[in-house]
Amino acid sequence: MLRYAGKRAILAVLVALTVSFAAFLLLSVATDPAAAIAGEGAEPEVIEQIREQLGLNQPLLAQYGHWLSAISHGDLGTSYYWRQPVSTLILDHLPVTLTLALAATFVALIVAIPLGTIAALYPNSTIDRFALTLAVSAQATPTFWLALMLIILLGVIVPIFPISGDATGWNYVLPAIVLGAHSVPAIMRLTRVGVLDVMGSDYIRTARAKGLYGYRLLSRQVMRNALLPVVSVLAVQLGHKLGGSVITESVFAMNGLGRFALQSIVGGDIPTVQMLVVLFALTFIGLTLLADLLNAWLDPRLRLT
Amino acid sequence: MRGGTAHNRVLMALAAVGFAMCGWLPVNAGPANDTMVVAIEGEIPTLDHLYTTARDTITLAELTDDGLFYVDPETLAYVPAAAESYVQVDDTTIDVTIRTGVRFHDGSPLTADDVVYTFSWVLDPDTKTNRGRVIGAWLDRVERTGPMQVRFHLKHPYPLAIRDMAFSVQLRKKGAYHPHGKADPNAQAQMLNGIGPYKVVDFQPGKRVTLERFDGYYADSPKGRPAIRHIVFRTIPDLSTQQAELISGNVDWMYNVPADIASNLGATGYATHLTGPTLRVNFIPLDAAGYTGADNPLTKLDVRRAMIHAINRRDIVKYLIQGDAEVIDSACHPLQFGCEQNVRKYPYDPAEARRLLVGAGYPNGFEVELWAYRERQAAEAVAADLAKVGIRVRLRFVTLTTLNQARKNHRVPAFFASWESGSTADTATIAEVHWSLKSDRNLSKDAVVARQMEAAARTIDAEERKRLYSAALKRIADQAYWIPLYTYSQNYLVSNTLAFPVTKDGLPRLFRAHWRANAVKASN
Repeated sequence: MLRYAGKRAILAVLVALTVSFAAFLLLSVATDPAAAIAGEGAEPEVIEQIREQLGLNQPLLAQYGHWLSAISHGDLGTSYYWRQPVSTLILDHLPVTLTLALAATFVALIVAIPLGTIAALYPNSTIDRFALTLAVSAQATPTFWLALMLIILLGVIVPIFPISGDATGWNYVLPAIVLGAHSVPAIMRLTRVGVLDVMGSDYIRTARAKGLYGYRLLSRQVMRNALLPVVSVLAVQLGHKLGGSVITESVFAMNGLGRFALQSIVGGDIPTVQMLVVLFALTFIGLTLLADLLNAWLDPRLRLT
Repeated sequence: MRGGTAHNRVLMALAAVGFAMCGWLPVNAGPANDTMVVAIEGEIPTLDHLYTTARDTITLAELTDDGLFYVDPETLAYVPAAAESYVQVDDTTIDVTIRTGVRFHDGSPLTADDVVYTFSWVLDPDTKTNRGRVIGAWLDRVERTGPMQVRFHLKHPYPLAIRDMAFSVQLRKKGAYHPHGKADPNAQAQMLNGIGPYKVVDFQPGKRVTLERFDGYYADSPKGRPAIRHIVFRTIPDLSTQQAELISGNVDWMYNVPADIASNLGATGYATHLTGPTLRVNFIPLDAAGYTGADNPLTKLDVRRAMIHAINRRDIVKYLIQGDAEVIDSACHPLQFGCEQNVRKYPYDPAEARRLLVGAGYPNGFEVELWAYRERQAAEAVAADLAKVGIRVRLRFVTLTTLNQARKNHRVPAFFASWESGSTADTATIAEVHWSLKSDRNLSKDAVVARQMEAAARTIDAEERKRLYSAALKRIADQAYWIPLYTYSQNYLVSNTLAFPVTKDGLPRLFRAHWRANAVKASN
């Protein structure tokens, strides 16, 4: 198991570096950090001065080499735009995204798993149809639209929750609903399929024959096996959310990694974008690895393969 | 409406329930807390204006910083601020006397040493200020001539020296960038020690800046004493969210609002829609020099003139831009010094445009690329008007960076341009960057115009400058090097409790805002 995890970790670093190099090339070609930093109406002299200051007049490979050399020494660089160490900036923005991602995942779980389970227990019933409709609707609803509707309903007309910012826990309620809603369909469907599949299996029949019914049957025998595929999907969903939700964070004016990444891309802030790309890649790979390990823990049969 | 429809009653009941449930919801804006909350779309990365040219930071710097001079928003004239007076000793020497009683936010007095330190810091190329190169282009050195007197030695006569002292160089305390004896360009980025009417009490980069009125602000400042105690800048990237916060009473002021949205929300009565002019002008430079092909149609004078005749600029202003925007004929803003208005005019006349095209050898028109990075609707309206006379426009809507790169590589025959002149009411601020032979924005490469514009920027003789600009601008209009479009309008949305005087140059002076009398009474 340890060897497997080690291999995956090395693979993760290689993937992250490859992605960062691709991002660096694309960003260097597509943007002019000096012009972006100087602003729309800046004189050409100002732009040129910034270009020289940041070393952007050096060859691209040399620039990437400097960056690689610096991070190998633990120096994540300084943001062109914010004029602060990239490590400080990432640590400043991480808590918002982390909290939002976990809250959104929680929202998705408390809606999707009960709904999927009930839908499976009563297949083709009204509640099953309702769950299916909800799933399709949640998938089809644009994030920004849902966000604006919630703002109007629960922020303006009935001002229950704050509209924007990330100062208090209440600020996370609406964004978590918006972000979580997007994950509900996938988790709900997998839960439904998983529960249906398990409910038809021999060992459940045996368990029933032994007198195990209702909640005890569901919690002890059904869910543990039915939720195996959900764990993998959950890791992917959480990875997406930890990668930052640009739209949700922008609409709710939350200062998380998603909006920070967008600002950095628009501002041509190459050192910051580079580190964010590496961070996102590592997070994604890390979570996938975690999902594999969890699956192996939940299902001993997988450890043998 | 007075009696309330069923729908409204339901909404009001819901709102009442909501308020009852949620008395904890923080509403920090408004006269009750004497706090004006300002919503901005962009983020403020640094408090130090010497290290950024971002628009929102300039608005902030008007509150936290003062320069030696100040632009009176009513007259657009330069008046002494931290300076008490100045004397133009000769073409390249300016003596400035510093005002007594000006204090930094840490309580220390402003002296000649601070002024010399600030300008020397800006002039030092190693300090990497954003304005260093611009200031260094005309300023040789600054010399202390007394405890409250300094002398500026210019490299050559420069008419915008006072303007640069007003806009570009905010004064710093001696040693401000040497907190531990070692030079640190970021020393003022997070916690600023300025001399402006407000001091920074909290700064969360990218999120908010909280300002408090500076009680030690000098009484005879041309900015006056601000009425509002606290101002909070909040970054809210989404315009819809800004509006929701404004309606909810959590935001008092927002700007850069599209005209239709501003007028719609203003009409609801939830907020007040204000509109005012800016010094921004929009225009389309044409490739008269033949960079995109020596024989391209735009190299022909009649074609360029036909293009201006073909565009219904008045309707574009009336229906798309709205507000205080106006059609322009000259290559500058009418409020700018030296902006000659007596130039050749091209009224909307599609028939004349067609006649000119036939005369130029294009009876069936031609195809041309128009590059644009902002105001898509206006660019499309221009393209539609040109199509009516046979000029088939391929609109290339790209990012500013892409446009800059394409222009640098001479791939742009015409581009939808916009210039704000750094809120400066002087033609020099739009002229040099667009007409210098070194500038890639200059698609005409007219040596006569370039020489005249440069000469006007190298003399302090106001009459001579006017004469030179007049000659150059007449030639530009005569040769139709640009399609001059319109001035721009700034739309603000403010809470109904706030009075905000709009400015002529479009640069918001938030220290002039105050609560309406009835709002203060109600909050008491």
